[in-house]
Amino acid sequence: MTQQVQSTKEQIREFVREAAQRKGVTDVTDTLSLVQSGVIDSLGIFRLVSFLEENCKVRIADEEIVGENFETIDDIERFVTTKLSK
Amino acid sequence: MAYILQQLLSESAKRYPGKTAVAARGKSFTYQELEERSNQLAHLLQRHGVKKGDRVGIYFPKAVESLACMFGIMKAGGVYVPLDPQAPSERISYIIGNCAIKALITTGDRLHALSAEAKNSVEFSILLGPGENGNVPHTMPWASLLEYPADSSPQIQATTTDLAYILYTSGSTGRPKGVMLSHQNALTFVDWCAETFQVTSDDNLSNHAPLHFDLSVFDVYNTIEAGATLYLVTEDLTLFPASLANFIRDRQITIWYSVPSALVLLLLHANLKAENLKRLRIILFAGEVFAMKYLRQLADLVPHVDLYNLYGPTETNVCTFHKVDRERLGNMKHLPVGQACANTEVFAVDADDEIIEAGSSREGELYVRGPAVTPGYWGDVEKTQGAVVPNRFQPNFEEKMYRTGDIVTLSVDGDYYFVGRRDSMVKSRGYRIELGEIEAALMSHPGVREAAALAIPDDEIGARLKAVVAPHDFGALTAADLQQHCATRIPKYMIPELIELQESLPKTSTGKIDRVQLAQAPQPVAQ
Repeated sequence: MTQQVQSTKEQIREFVREAAQRKGVTDVTDTLSLVQSGVIDSLGIFRLVSFLEENCKVRIADEEIVGENFETIDDIERFVTTKLSK
Repeated sequence: MAYILQQLLSESAKRYPGKTAVAARGKSFTYQELEERSNQLAHLLQRHGVKKGDRVGIYFPKAVESLACMFGIMKAGGVYVPLDPQAPSERISYIIGNCAIKALITTGDRLHALSAEAKNSVEFSILLGPGENGNVPHTMPWASLLEYPADSSPQIQATTTDLAYILYTSGSTGRPKGVMLSHQNALTFVDWCAETFQVTSDDNLSNHAPLHFDLSVFDVYNTIEAGATLYLVTEDLTLFPASLANFIRDRQITIWYSVPSALVLLLLHANLKAENLKRLRIILFAGEVFAMKYLRQLADLVPHVDLYNLYGPTETNVCTFHKVDRERLGNMKHLPVGQACANTEVFAVDADDEIIEAGSSREGELYVRGPAVTPGYWGDVEKTQGAVVPNRFQPNFEEKMYRTGDIVTLSVDGDYYFVGRRDSMVKSRGYRIELGEIEAALMSHPGVREAAALAIPDDEIGARLKAVVAPHDFGALTAADLQQHCATRIPKYMIPELIELQESLPKTSTGKIDRVQLAQAPQPVAQ
């Protein structure tokens, strides 16, 4: 794993943990379903997208904001890494 | 003509046995299957002691089985109580105790998370989920209902004024309150919808609202009444506008009903195209104010679709409606909530206790009378008497009317316009939220001395929630501590996204918390 990937994941983790805290959820693992646990609501998704666009330097289209890319921290990381490698 | 809700299903099951009634998560029930499953569930419930008027809770993420539960419970003579599957178990435990739920249809983990008191008070539970084998005491797997007769429901003598379901909404004193709805209450609305929107067996309806939300009453019962097909929008879809847009296209939805904020999300983030919405013929929205700029965008995007604003608190379901007139929309500042639905009367009463006349510039509180009005709140005579009051404008016989708490005006053309609330109830994403319930949750933290919850108006979701808290020991408490504490007591949509800690809260001359001053403080941009 490269340094770049590590830091991307750390950034995602930090963002999601902060969002989770505002919803009173403390136990956030990389495989927790952010949707089922209520950590991310409809506005949270778009805040996360803006965050990723700014901090990870990716462009995310509306069509890409779907469950399979945003279900868990692992999914988000995989999605961002794939985009960065293209 | 149906006088109890389950007759709608039995009639459609005779006419359209093989047609799909409901679909979700890759599963579906035909009308015959839904009729049979609900008959079996009714027999099972009755065999295990559920009697007329007993409350049965439905507590799992929405699925095709949800509808079998609703009809099965009513066929057993019971009253169903849809419980928010995402609410904290502490809140659900309270509701179970509040209306003395006798039986619960749920999942193993949800049952396990309930308070010991709630678990003990429920006589038995039916568990959904693949691994459920009934090994836990007083539980049985969902599949056990297949042992019961499917071809007819148990004999019960029901009337249209019997309770059908109880919907819990936010309560100002810190605990949710149960709005009781009779078969007649629901059918008054369902009959009006059937007539107004001409729902037919060719229609495909969506169900976006959670089942504990009164918008779902239209989705479920008007689908079943018409022999149409209902597609449930599961929680994961509601978060992803692009997926939701594909859902509308792929399921060929013809009638959509949701809160405006869901439509705004679709408009802003789904890249909606009219050619993907060809079969859509009606969009209904309710639950909060639709920002005009977004409504105009929607009206332009789908010129072939009729748009209706429906208005009404859970206590009356829908009581007024307004069909959007595209030619007038450009010049309108506000969208009216409109005029009364059939079999319902509404009027506004001003500060002098006089009924407002059309075109007068006065404001008044909206009252509703007729068969749509709730009998009251479960187990709460005081709250019921405060809201469902004798009709003092009609002295000839005893009759009740509902005080909505909504302040309105009445235009020359007879349309009502929503102005605001007389109390501190707010709407966020269509959810009805009593600021008092948030404050009670904050105050229940031992480190909190004073707390005030505020709603910051927002075009996309109606309102954002903020709280200002004065702790006993300034510096010993963080916003995150309080948000975590709130999460154990109130649903996530009620947790303030911003909590400001102050040494003390501003007071009015009478010593009350000065909410006006708090609301006027500059609001930081939400992150």
